[in-house]
Amino acid sequence: MVTAKVVIRNLTGLHLRPAGILCNKAILYKSRIQFRTDTTTANAKSVLSVLGACVKSGDEIEFICEGDDEQEALDSMIKVVEEGLGE
Amino acid sequence: MFKGTNASAGIGIGKAAIIKEVEMVIRPDKVASVETEVTRFRGALADTVAQTKALADDLATKVGEKEAEIMNGHLMLLADPMLTGEIEEAIKRESVCSEYAIETTCSTYADVFAAMDDELMQQRATDMRDIKTRMQQVLQGIKPVDIASLPEGSIIVAKDLTPSMTAGINPANVTGIVTELGGKTSHSAILARALEIPAVVAVSNVMDKIEEGDSIVLDGGEGIVIVKPTEAEMNEYTAKRDQFLQEKKDLERFKGVPTVTKDGVHIELVANIGNPDDLAKVLEYDGEGVGLFRTEFLFMDRTSMPTEEEQFEAYKKVAEGLSGKPVIIRTLDIGGDKEIPYMGLAKDENPFLGYRAIRLCLDRKEDIYRPQLRALLRASAFGGIKIMIPMITCIDEIREAKALIEDIKNELDRKDIPYNKNIQIGIMVETAAASLMADVFAKEVDFFSIGTNDLTQYTMSVDRGNDKISYLYSTFNPAVLRSIRNIIKCGREAGIMVGMCGEAASDPLMIPLLLAFGLNEFSMSASAILKSRKMITGYSSEELQAVADEAMSFVTAKEVESYMKEFVNKK
Repeated sequence: MVTAKVVIRNLTGLHLRPAGILCNKAILYKSRIQFRTDTTTANAKSVLSVLGACVKSGDEIEFICEGDDEQEALDSMIKVVEEGLGE
Repeated sequence: MFKGTNASAGIGIGKAAIIKEVEMVIRPDKVASVETEVTRFRGALADTVAQTKALADDLATKVGEKEAEIMNGHLMLLADPMLTGEIEEAIKRESVCSEYAIETTCSTYADVFAAMDDELMQQRATDMRDIKTRMQQVLQGIKPVDIASLPEGSIIVAKDLTPSMTAGINPANVTGIVTELGGKTSHSAILARALEIPAVVAVSNVMDKIEEGDSIVLDGGEGIVIVKPTEAEMNEYTAKRDQFLQEKKDLERFKGVPTVTKDGVHIELVANIGNPDDLAKVLEYDGEGVGLFRTEFLFMDRTSMPTEEEQFEAYKKVAEGLSGKPVIIRTLDIGGDKEIPYMGLAKDENPFLGYRAIRLCLDRKEDIYRPQLRALLRASAFGGIKIMIPMITCIDEIREAKALIEDIKNELDRKDIPYNKNIQIGIMVETAAASLMADVFAKEVDFFSIGTNDLTQYTMSVDRGNDKISYLYSTFNPAVLRSIRNIIKCGREAGIMVGMCGEAASDPLMIPLLLAFGLNEFSMSASAILKSRKMITGYSSEELQAVADEAMSFVTAKEVESYMKEFVNKK
């Protein structure tokens, strides 16, 4: 299992479009990919789960990846968030 | 006559076309083979995805990529493995039909979204219910409501328009929309505005009051719906509609036209915006730049301070979006009247005279002001950014702010970070003190922008939120007008630009006076730009001098206003 923290920079937080981009990236990997916020844990491969976490701009989230390609998955998730999720 | 929320401007006249979804009875029917049922569900899911994809493509070509995003969002939800997994799980666990499993699973999510304290999230509830209904319709072989084939002159009357229903609207045949639910920012309202179809939403119980084929007129700007109008009402609204369309066409002619008075004085006609998304409107109405970009949105509705990086991105986006045109960005204008828990501001006894705007920023340089100014300077490398400082009352404040900016510039130079070395620094002139000292300030700054809302409030010592003393709150008050005239005169004498970003800048009765005083820049909400351009290009500032002299000879706000009204109407 590998983990890393990242801050969400999108102005609207993790709303439908950025959440969709996040999930589309996550499903490319075999590993289980989750992220933790102050209040909950979400499945990064599910748009509904990501939306339900209600992540706002400026919030910090911690990705947790577990599986054969965990390091690759983690790097990729951090990268897609840092790139602004399409914004 | 019924009242609702004004969702899309314009007058709609036509016959009611009641849109009702076919009622589906969803029961927890048991199924014999769970495997067969899961296969049935997967087939329906694939069909729904195909249908949605077709709607998205249709919308993208008919209306625009942005509107198609609603349907693309549905595709993401339909592709969610958690959602489909849970539905299949429910089928297996309870041996129930797909319709029921979809009903319980989707409704649970819709309820969760509806309960969230966030308007954007609440809209996801509509999305969940919409995809739920569509999957169930596919399973039951029910054709979705066919809005596309409504006859010409139809006024859609519905409980609520789901995004998938709205997507099928043919704007050539639909002359209006009335719904029982919804709000200004719901999907149907947004799409109605994009299609320029007049719409009134949130009209309570309207489905019980209108029958198929009823004659209807609606005013989407006022939020009024009249069922079976009298002949007189019909004539009135037909005239209003023609006038609305004529005015719209008239104003179209002023797109791309330079804002120059008859005697050749160039005016900058720019927009006030509250966040980067407002840019689209500025471009649509042909704004010549931005005269006031309020930065408060970056700091509101969140739990921590926005970082410099986040601010930089927002400022850069606007600067780039306007490709070099002027963008005046106002630094944080906030005080004890706003709830921003993470800033730890104490409740001010007298917030408008208290610890706010520049007073607060200069006191909190390290955590608030420096990051904002640094973000602004960095973003200035990407477009025509100018920095505007609000609520200035004395010269020390502007000197201290400029020293801080110099300090940040030196730091950027050392680190080789690009920025516009000649960036203009200006002030909002909105306090009586700044107005009286305008000649001094004019030598210290690169531009003025008059904030008439606060200037009126501070000059007249009137709380603009208090109804009991609203008679004092008028920009036409001679005291306020003298103040404005003095600010403009001092600015012009020093050779700096003087603009105005308060509501008065787009007031038809005020525009002739401001032109006569010599105002260089008018900043207003984007939708007022074309109308103001039409006015400005129709005047000669020379001929207005006599009008202004006459107006300034009166001693009450009422006299000035009625004189200006007479002058403008005569024109």
